[in-house]
Amino acid sequence: MADNVQNNQGPQTTGHVWDGTLQEYNNPLPVWWTYAFYATIVFAIAYWLYYPSWPIGQHFLTGFGKIEYTNAEGQKEDWHWNTRAKLLKETEDAVALQKPYYDKIMSLPFQQISKDPQLYSFVQSAGKPLFADNCAACHQSGGSGKIGMAPNLADDSWIYGGTYDKIQETITNGRHGYMPPFAEALEPEQIDDLANYVLSLSGNKVDPAKAAKGDELFHSNTAACFYCHGANAKGRQDIGSANLTDKIWLWADVPDAQDTAGKVALVTQVIKGGLNRGVMPTWQGRLSPEQIKLLTVYVHEFGGGQ
Amino acid sequence: MSGSNPALAEQYDYEIIKKFSIMSIVWAVVGMSVGVYIASELTWPFLNFDIPYITFGRFRPVHTSAVIFGFGGSALFATSYYVVQRTCQTRLWGGGLIPFTFWGWQAVIVLAAISYVLGYSQGREYAEMEWPIDLLIEVIWVSYLAIFVGTLMKRKQPHIYVANWFYLAFILATALLHTFNNLAVPIGLFSMKSYSLFSGAQDAMVQWWYGHNAVGFFLTAAFLGMMYYFVPKHAGRPVYSYRLSIVHFWALSFMYMWVGTHHLHWTALPDWASTLGATFSIMLLLPSWGGMINGIMTLSGAWDRLRTDYVMRFMIVALSFYGMSTFEGPLMALKDVNALSHYTDWTVGHVHSGALGWVAMISFGSLYHMIPKLWNTKLWSEKLVGIHFWLATIGVLLYITAMWISGISQGLMWRAFDDYGNLQYSFVESVAAMHPFYMMRAIGGMFFLTGMCIMAFNIFKTIRQGVHQANVAGQTAVAAA
Repeated sequence: MADNVQNNQGPQTTGHVWDGTLQEYNNPLPVWWTYAFYATIVFAIAYWLYYPSWPIGQHFLTGFGKIEYTNAEGQKEDWHWNTRAKLLKETEDAVALQKPYYDKIMSLPFQQISKDPQLYSFVQSAGKPLFADNCAACHQSGGSGKIGMAPNLADDSWIYGGTYDKIQETITNGRHGYMPPFAEALEPEQIDDLANYVLSLSGNKVDPAKAAKGDELFHSNTAACFYCHGANAKGRQDIGSANLTDKIWLWADVPDAQDTAGKVALVTQVIKGGLNRGVMPTWQGRLSPEQIKLLTVYVHEFGGGQ
Repeated sequence: MSGSNPALAEQYDYEIIKKFSIMSIVWAVVGMSVGVYIASELTWPFLNFDIPYITFGRFRPVHTSAVIFGFGGSALFATSYYVVQRTCQTRLWGGGLIPFTFWGWQAVIVLAAISYVLGYSQGREYAEMEWPIDLLIEVIWVSYLAIFVGTLMKRKQPHIYVANWFYLAFILATALLHTFNNLAVPIGLFSMKSYSLFSGAQDAMVQWWYGHNAVGFFLTAAFLGMMYYFVPKHAGRPVYSYRLSIVHFWALSFMYMWVGTHHLHWTALPDWASTLGATFSIMLLLPSWGGMINGIMTLSGAWDRLRTDYVMRFMIVALSFYGMSTFEGPLMALKDVNALSHYTDWTVGHVHSGALGWVAMISFGSLYHMIPKLWNTKLWSEKLVGIHFWLATIGVLLYITAMWISGISQGLMWRAFDDYGNLQYSFVESVAAMHPFYMMRAIGGMFFLTGMCIMAFNIFKTIRQGVHQANVAGQTAVAAA
């Protein structure tokens, strides 16, 4: 290129002309271009020598790159560079950092884990992404819950119990809440009376006459609400029936209703249709027992643990 | 036919080129509008309005098909028909096949868009069209090949001009890629649904052999063909190096075919196949740059015109973005860089620096050069070309900068471990961190789209002006006679 440009005659064209004006100079390849191209070929060859590359029959050049990892028998082993070994090695390195803490978590009873400042700090570090990636889709960030989806984990109201053991049981096995529909079994006025009664339990202003009839029905064998919700309507944690006497609502968005009629309509809907949405999946198999135990402490520490 | 020089109209078939040029601009406006809409959906999700037909998943292939095949494809049909006729000094060969390529191709884009919105997709990137549309494409493409080769064969020039090699490579490679990637078995003659002939890692490899060569031959070789005609023609200077054009043409064609596996690093694909993809990508760097060097060096000596000639500015900026993205691509193809970049917005930014910076810009330059010639007139407004240029350039820069930051942040956040060996961030935190950059990207897209609308307006006025001038000239001729 330099030769031609400096040449007084200037670069020569190939002599062809297209479309009236189109021509081509006969300049040689730029020298830097040629050498840079060779350099990429040298780089490629070096890459082939390090990583697995050309296939040969049923096998391939494995390359000189090596990865030392720990095999299933716990022995250190060299393997030619490959993505499987790389994953094992990187997992191993991260697990090596986590292991002393998880070992300690597994060896201690729940109560002591959160009292150990270093372990507590580990629980917070591991619990944050574990909770956010697995639990927060339903329970929301910080476990604040969402009406119509999943309960708040940061308050002291627990459907299945808020002790360490109960939380661990819930995460491990999952839960499936169920309430049968009453639309067929009861008359519309009866359901209306029940809804008024249920709302009265948490201090809502309702029609006292209806609530009184609802009270009677609630405790009768006709509707038999007390079988599950208890004679005091405070719910039973062993079967996961709701406490109807507090102001916490999970399925009927009572706090959002404009007036009494709206509230009654929401509760009526639940009594009529029953509930089959309260499903929490099992995490056994998806999370390790160590992770479940750690999450148990993490969730307990949201503030509502018992 | 009105508006064109009667002598030229007889020598060359301009009617088909006019049709494709207009549709190229129409699809650009449509495709880019959908692009801006889906970018906005990612930023402000309420824009989904809970309507399945307009969600990101269905609109995204509408966007890619409309811009790649609608805008890019129509621009390639138009310019290749223009270039092959003018450099061979002959009319197009093909008779009825010629309008068939136009109506068929437009039908493909419309049918594809409707089928995606209704939820039909092969789930193969850039090849989402289901089997009946694929068959239509096959017929059109073979017709296109026949027209192009037929025209080359009856050329009145002894040598085939370099632009035509690139166009021919693009047509041949696309035929091959389209055929093999779309081998599928329909579940019934009257069903749109089909299943690929391949499965598992092989299926993925065929798809990415197609996917990257769609980039390589459709979006690179073909547009290099465009560049090799319009840059020297517009600058009025000879191509810098004939030898470089030969060497980089063959090197590019050979290397591209191997690189698809770099899309499948760290997957179930065997490591050796992914290594070959990475290395051929590295060896592709200089062959790609050959085109950039030849383009930029052709312009050298005409630098003074860059101050006043916005069409030439489009071309030089296109070549610069081409050089930038063909440097970035090989870098991202390395295993360790890919471990960071894969599945992040960096890839999206890379594609758009090529698609907006190179493909769209070189097409704008070429269309601004060609359309006035087709209608035998001048551009209605040079000033609007200047405004389009700045809007487009600012738009691309906003877009790719946003995607670099967001992509690299994503990659770093996903792999960050704390001192305990625990993940530092949850996935949703990385999503939240993307929000400002998604907004920036959407705004960049709006800039680019605004420029495109200005171009559409300017071209509309230019064509009307050409038609008007031709009518006046016709009347004068009649009056004189």
